[in-house]
Amino acid sequence: MALNPSTLPARSFLYRELQKFGAVFGEVNGYASAMTVGADAAAEAAQARSLGLCDLSALKRIGFKGWATAEWLTSQGVTLEDAPNRVYPQGDGARVARLSKGEFVVLGDLEGRSTLPDRLGGAWSMASANGCFRVPREDASAWLTLTGAEGGAMFAKVCGVDLRPHKFPNNGIAQTSLARMNAIIMRADRGNTLAYDLVFDLASAVYLWGALLDAMAEFGGKPVGLDAIKALG
Amino acid sequence: MAFGLIKYGLSPRYPGKRFLSRQPELKSSYDVVIIGGGGHGLACAYYLAKNHGVKNVAVLEKGYIGGGNTGRNTAIIRSNYLTPEGVAFYDESVRLFQGLSEDLDFNILYSERGHFTLAHTDAAMRTSRWRAEVNKHLGVNSEVVDREDLKRLVPSLNLSEDVRYPIMGALYHPPGAIARHDAVAWGYAGRAAEMGIEIHQGTEVTGLEIEDGRITGVVTNRGRVACGKAMQAVAGLSGVMANMAGFKLPIKTVPLQACVSMPLKPFLDPIIVSGSLHVYISQSSRGELVMGGSTDPYPRYQTRSTLDFIEGLMAHILELFPFLADVPILRQWAGMTDMTPDFSPVMGETPVKNYYIDSGWGTWGFKATPVCGKRMAETIATGRVPALLQPFRLSRFEEYSLVGEKGAASVGH
Amino acid sequence: MKIINCPLNGPRNAQEFVHGGEFVAMPDPHRSSDAEWSSFVFLENNTAGVVREWWCHVPTAYWFIAERDTIKDEFIRTYDPSEVFRERVEFAKPPAQGS
Ligand SMILES: Cc1cc2nc3c(=O)[nH]c(=O)nc-3n(C[C@H](O)[C@H](O)[C@H](O)COP(=O)(O)OP(=O)(O)OC[C@H]3O[C@@H](n4cnc5c(N)ncnc54)[C@H](O)[C@@H]3O)c2cc1C
Repeated sequence: MALNPSTLPARSFLYRELQKFGAVFGEVNGYASAMTVGADAAAEAAQARSLGLCDLSALKRIGFKGWATAEWLTSQGVTLEDAPNRVYPQGDGARVARLSKGEFVVLGDLEGRSTLPDRLGGAWSMASANGCFRVPREDASAWLTLTGAEGGAMFAKVCGVDLRPHKFPNNGIAQTSLARMNAIIMRADRGNTLAYDLVFDLASAVYLWGALLDAMAEFGGKPVGLDAIKALG
Repeated sequence: MAFGLIKYGLSPRYPGKRFLSRQPELKSSYDVVIIGGGGHGLACAYYLAKNHGVKNVAVLEKGYIGGGNTGRNTAIIRSNYLTPEGVAFYDESVRLFQGLSEDLDFNILYSERGHFTLAHTDAAMRTSRWRAEVNKHLGVNSEVVDREDLKRLVPSLNLSEDVRYPIMGALYHPPGAIARHDAVAWGYAGRAAEMGIEIHQGTEVTGLEIEDGRITGVVTNRGRVACGKAMQAVAGLSGVMANMAGFKLPIKTVPLQACVSMPLKPFLDPIIVSGSLHVYISQSSRGELVMGGSTDPYPRYQTRSTLDFIEGLMAHILELFPFLADVPILRQWAGMTDMTPDFSPVMGETPVKNYYIDSGWGTWGFKATPVCGKRMAETIATGRVPALLQPFRLSRFEEYSLVGEKGAASVGH
Repeated sequence: MKIINCPLNGPRNAQEFVHGGEFVAMPDPHRSSDAEWSSFVFLENNTAGVVREWWCHVPTAYWFIAERDTIKDEFIRTYDPSEVFRERVEFAKPPAQGS
């Protein structure tokens, strides 16, 4: 059912860009989010398998940082290993990205099954979590996912790090310059489809969205909606 | 000179003379030794002889004269600085430059073009106004112009609003000029040599002799030379020399690159600078576009050209002049600049008695060649630092009284 | 493009880094003289040769230490500051101000 994104208090910073493509919006976590972007879900799923870009900014995310953060997260039941620049899946669909010894981003899942981001947000307080501080990722970072077999080749145009699948493992992280912007790139395959999650400064969301679509055009890449990503499994 | 042209123009018997007479043997002692035969060292030697009659002077240059930053810069001359101290100092230099071809009887191809510092942001417009007011107050021709003025004064400039940083206006400085940089070194060298100053090329200073805190001599690859006074004017190697003298400087050595395009028909009379885009461009009398940007991102003792530089520079040049997209670059090079924290030079006395310094010229010292030479000569000859140089003393850092000129640096750094 | 080996992120284009200046010990701000403090703030060794410096990988805001040859433009070694700093650097409380 079509939803006018301006009737919801929260909507993606990209909603006007998405509207240009004929996006149909639905509500996710109280957020107006594009379910399809001009085509039907099946066609968009096929697009996503080849090369697609989807706005995941409606999904839950939360950040923590500080010398005792790993300890605090572990005490909250998060499973982690020592190696930085790795994503640690949590079993319930949530993923914890370890950016360095002391910095983490917790990412919710597509279906909203995991309660981890909300639970950590509720448990944390300045007083109880000594040496661990909140990073307001939900208010500061945009989140896109770039999917499909052409992804590795496409990234070579806009990023200096080799992100081709045989060089950059699933759950690997590259914090680097993407189309001249700082971004966290996480390989996050969906089903059998190659996929990369991109987390970056939301103030530049419109810029990076446009830059990526421009770079993707050569490979037939297009924006897709949340339904297409869900269909990848 | 003009007579000579008429007389010998078509004659095979032109009595051409060597620019510098054959290099003399190094004497065992001089009244003054100048370390570094760039424009600054040579100008100082010239004014020592001309204004003060001090002629028992040797200029020691490890390579060839003008082979350092003097022969590598993009030759922009202007006085539209930000601080009253800076404006007064550079203004004296511009005036000296305007009469320099006459004074040296040597054509330095001084060419007044007008100089525009483009503003792409409100903050840059504000700095432009600030500079214009300080400049006017000190009698320097400088004003803020808007987009309409720019359309008229620089018709080739891209004033489109459909770019990343549309141009809002500019600081316009009509006396802004360029000159033939090598000619400045040669002119000073030739005239200094005529007055009896010795210029020793291929002569590197490798050590200093200091007794009781006073300079007594220098050690070179051609032997030891005693001296009453000495001055170092070695640009990017300032820190290395100061190290020999036993003191530290507020200076980092950072490469600065520049490039020229193939020659084009004249289309760009003025000099165009954009701080926000980190670029500047002018067209030489040969038609080449002379282009430069900010210093390299980190310090080092090296003059290697990089692709990063040229790529970044061109991305921005093409915002200003999109029609240059197909123009080939002919040459690219770098010099080692001596960068200070306040973007002002370090001149005058040092902790070593009778040992003077002329340094911290960074990316902006070519325009100061005449005034610095003249006033450092005065300092050395009289033993007193003139008021014009006082603000630039080395001890200003210890006194926390810096002369902040970053806002007037040609490009944002 | 020059490649710098970041201890956290591995080899990366030099454009991802900023130079943070010479690695020198900070004098006690409460007890150093004006001259000592200005020397720390402004004066440089500006060594021609091997230097030890602070560098930052900008996309991760990660600071590390590099040993570098300023003549050859070669990075010799890069490492995490924990190799040098085993514990927090503390300065004693400032002497009481005023009379
Ligand atoms: C690419 C570039 C563009 C620039 N553009 C401009 C501009 O547009 N406008 C402007 O005003 N300024 C500009 N500058 C800055 C300007 O070039 C310098 O500040 C100025 O030329 C310095 O002159 P100098 O005589 O002090 O130094 P140099 O000309 O470098 O002379 C120093 C000399 O000292 C010699 N030397 C060093 N060590 C020793 C030793 N131990 N013994 C003997 N000799 C030694 C060197 O060989 C050298 O010849 C630019 C610089 C560069 C690199």
